[in-house]
Amino acid sequence: MIACDREADVLEAVAFGRWAGHCDPALAAHAATCAVCADVVAVSIALRDDREWACSQANLPTAGAVWWRATIRARAEAARTVMQPIGLLQAIAGAVTVGLTAGFASLAWRSIHWMDRFSDMLSRVAVSRGEAAAASGVSLDHALLVMFLVAACLVLAPVALYFTLRDE
Amino acid sequence: MCSRASSGWSVRLRTMRDLTLSDLERLGDATEAEATFVMDEDAFRLFYDRTARPVWAYLSRMSGDPRLADDLLQETYYRFLRAAVTHDDDAHRRNYLFRIATNLVRDLRRRPRVDQVPMRDGVDATDHADPRSADAATAAARRLDLARAMTRLKPRERDLLWLAYAQGSTHREIAETLGLKTASIKLLLFRARRRLAALLREGGR
Repeated sequence: MIACDREADVLEAVAFGRWAGHCDPALAAHAATCAVCADVVAVSIALRDDREWACSQANLPTAGAVWWRATIRARAEAARTVMQPIGLLQAIAGAVTVGLTAGFASLAWRSIHWMDRFSDMLSRVAVSRGEAAAASGVSLDHALLVMFLVAACLVLAPVALYFTLRDE
Repeated sequence: MCSRASSGWSVRLRTMRDLTLSDLERLGDATEAEATFVMDEDAFRLFYDRTARPVWAYLSRMSGDPRLADDLLQETYYRFLRAAVTHDDDAHRRNYLFRIATNLVRDLRRRPRVDQVPMRDGVDATDHADPRSADAATAAARRLDLARAMTRLKPRERDLLWLAYAQGSTHREIAETLGLKTASIKLLLFRARRRLAALLREGGR
């Protein structure tokens, strides 16, 4: 048997504090002989007492404090949700910056080689020694300028990336 | 409808604790956030005052840690406020609240620490240190017996018994809270009750 017809009566008597002194004596006598009701009495009295004790021990925050924390957290989560696409765009911008820097550095490297070839050509074409030296000087000036630009990009790109990706 | 994925709650709790004063100043007016809640502040205050103690008692007993129950209580109400669920009446609201609490405790149980120390606050030092009356000592001893017995039950049995006999929930309400079929509650409850009663009898000897 997993249930008893008088189980609900027993539970009610325990719940309203009538067990065992103030309830129907017939009910108490029944519980003494019914295994199901005896278990119900033992378990429900123990758990109800424990619940009352636990409730009395609770040191609860006020409703206002719980509400306030919830609103703060909801707002923070909403802000995070809004910031997600912005973060994605910032990451894309950072990647583009790095790509452009690398491309520009590659282009600059090629132009240095082109300048070298151009200066060689000038030196071959130049008749006098003085003209050839002037041509090499022109090539060297351009190469230094390109090198300076590349170095500036390499330094400035991470700084720009930092300012782009950092939090406010 | 009511079930929600409950992973990651501890991360959010940590996030709450990590909020600084400047964060709070920056967050400022929270009116927009409140708009996403299922009830306004006045209604929440009334609801909280009616339900907070039993929910805390449930969380405390099922998690086994009163301090953790404080955090879980905040999380439970936060999830309740944010849930996009329409509640028919107060009883449904209360059941839903307990369902959230149950899910949070289940998440905790997946971590090994918690099941090893359930109902710790039921047997703390204040129980034994209170010599004011023989009744108090007897009550403390009973709570100790109950705590020991509950540790030997399965988590679901503890949930069932607490909801049925401490909380006074109906079978339908228990089924809703625990995500079980109403028809199965009677048998599950019978088994759990018989087991706990036997353990209590053993403990009383």
